[in-house]
Amino acid sequence: MTNYLIRRMFTMFIVLVLSTVAVFAILNAAPGGPLDGLRMQTDPRRRLTAEDYARLENLLGLDKPIHLRYIVWLAGDDWIEVLPTWFTGLNAFGEPFRNGDARGIIRGDWGESWSVSRGNDVLTVIKSRLGNTVTLMSLATILSLAVAIPIGVFSAVKQYSTLDYAATTFSFIGISMPVFWMGLMMIILFSVKFQQWGLPSLPSGGVVSLRGAGAGTLWDRAVHLIMPTIVLSLLYMAGWSRFMRTSMLDVLHQDYVRTARAKGLVERVVIAKHAFRNALIPLITIVTLQLSSLFGGAVLTETVFAYPGMGHLYFNAISRSDWPLVMGYLLILAVLVILSNLLADIAYVLVDPRIRYD
Amino acid sequence: MAVQPLQSNAVPLQAEAIAAEEIGQLQAVWRRFRKHRLALLGAFMLAILVVAALLAPVLAPPKPAGIAGTKAPGALLFDPLAVDPVNQHLKPGTEGHILGTDEVGRDILSRLLYAARVSLYVGLMATLGSEIIGAITGAISGYYGGRIDQILMRIVDFMLTLPYLPILLVLSAMMAGQVTVPFARLNFLILILVIFGWMPSARLVRGVILSLREQEFTQASRALGASDLRIILRHMLPNALAPIIVSATLNVGNYIIIEAALSFLGFGVTPPTPSWGNMLTSVQDYMFLNPTLAIWPGLCIFLTVLSINFMGDGLRDALDPRMRGVAGGH
Repeated sequence: MTNYLIRRMFTMFIVLVLSTVAVFAILNAAPGGPLDGLRMQTDPRRRLTAEDYARLENLLGLDKPIHLRYIVWLAGDDWIEVLPTWFTGLNAFGEPFRNGDARGIIRGDWGESWSVSRGNDVLTVIKSRLGNTVTLMSLATILSLAVAIPIGVFSAVKQYSTLDYAATTFSFIGISMPVFWMGLMMIILFSVKFQQWGLPSLPSGGVVSLRGAGAGTLWDRAVHLIMPTIVLSLLYMAGWSRFMRTSMLDVLHQDYVRTARAKGLVERVVIAKHAFRNALIPLITIVTLQLSSLFGGAVLTETVFAYPGMGHLYFNAISRSDWPLVMGYLLILAVLVILSNLLADIAYVLVDPRIRYD
Repeated sequence: MAVQPLQSNAVPLQAEAIAAEEIGQLQAVWRRFRKHRLALLGAFMLAILVVAALLAPVLAPPKPAGIAGTKAPGALLFDPLAVDPVNQHLKPGTEGHILGTDEVGRDILSRLLYAARVSLYVGLMATLGSEIIGAITGAISGYYGGRIDQILMRIVDFMLTLPYLPILLVLSAMMAGQVTVPFARLNFLILILVIFGWMPSARLVRGVILSLREQEFTQASRALGASDLRIILRHMLPNALAPIIVSATLNVGNYIIIEAALSFLGFGVTPPTPSWGNMLTSVQDYMFLNPTLAIWPGLCIFLTVLSINFMGDGLRDALDPRMRGVAGGH
């Protein structure tokens, strides 16, 4: 196991480095840049001169060649004077690059946000939204599991029953439903229509009410979470209940289940103790693997409900070309994916003693 | 897999027998598909959608400049792009607008029809692209094995760890700033979807090829001196066709949803080109005034994808009776 973990850590490290390259390349290798908008300026009085561009490029570090920009992003630029000029090239004014004050992501300096939260440290901005996203994600995961597991087990035990067909139909609807549209429909029904009909309505977005008697209370926060949680859960409920059904069917056809029945155990015990616990193992893996995609997929849900989480922040960052923030978010997601892959492997060993990594 | 007789003088006879057998197989596939009611329903709804999308320019032709009103003379439906500020937010069925009008007075039904063309185009082309790249990579990987296989599969593994939706979002947003021609933009979107979507089909094809590599008929054709390309194209890929068709069908639905999501957020297909996704972009501003705006485009996405998924499930049952689908109408 130790051996395996060491090897695993090594590949994890390589994947992590490649992820930083990918994230950086996606945002920097494409043509065009943040100054494109300025170049489109048609009003001659407001048009910038060549020196203005040079100064701006220098200020934003865009005059550095791409490999140097990657290194600076990763490790900062308070030491780049030691690099030879054939490697770094010259800056926008035709001079060698001077040391800056960026310390790079590996030393905790993720840069400053350009537009969404101008001048603030990217990591701090993302952290300020982390709590909301984690709340939403945990609730959605719990709700999805609480619905998916019983549905999956029952439709496997009562295969081809009415309930099984109903569950199948439900999962087809779940995987075919565009989540953002479902969010819109729920807002129309539970916020707009209920309000018009004089029924107690749900808030259409945000995390707390801004005014009113109950603004900011725990109840107020809970009410704001209802619709986003349901919408975010739907897709996972659909997928996980199918997965649970398949896994349970698989186990129910195993010899040890037949043995359990043959020795006269009550069917309930056979299913609960012998089948169910073994059928959970593959589900644990898939859930752990998908946790990170739950993070990423929350972009749509959070945007529809104007929920101030990381996904909504990311959407704003893209809309306003806030590259440092976009890169920070993508990098955090990449790290989460790598960690959840590792977690899935470890969870596998912990819950299933038959599996060993030697 | 049929056992083929080895007499060399029986070639014409054998060819006929194979042709007859293929017809028989297709019939059997159709018989099994027919039994799956929901799949039939899905295929039927999709057929209607495809016909409607193809006929959109006939039903709702663009209005020639200089003509009053928002309908071309003699046309059945309104011009999808013609703005009519007087008739904003019309209720369904008023002034000849069957589904009403949107916030600038454009006919919703015409826009839905044109949007269907966009969705189907993106869904089909992105699937075609990713299946082709996936099949080539998977076939090379599975057939040659060893180093090549390891490198290709590490690439696949790595690309699968990248956060899919967020990356599509940022790439299509950057693309939207660079490409201004609507059709070119659509194709760039497809390109991005393909670049980040070919990996699952590569894995699928690799798995099938791997299992076929050591079978007798492969070894026999190798012994007869067939080239690698011939073995892959003539003997292996046809065997992989059933799972490829099934997963491709389901992929079309996924791509349609992703395109809609990107367009909804404003980074995919951008106005004035109508798409089901971008028709939903501004509905949140008019929720009290005109909530029906939000219903139709979403319903189109949902029903289309649902039909595709039903059909995919039916195809799975029909093409390979061993892989039992989820809905199986038995």
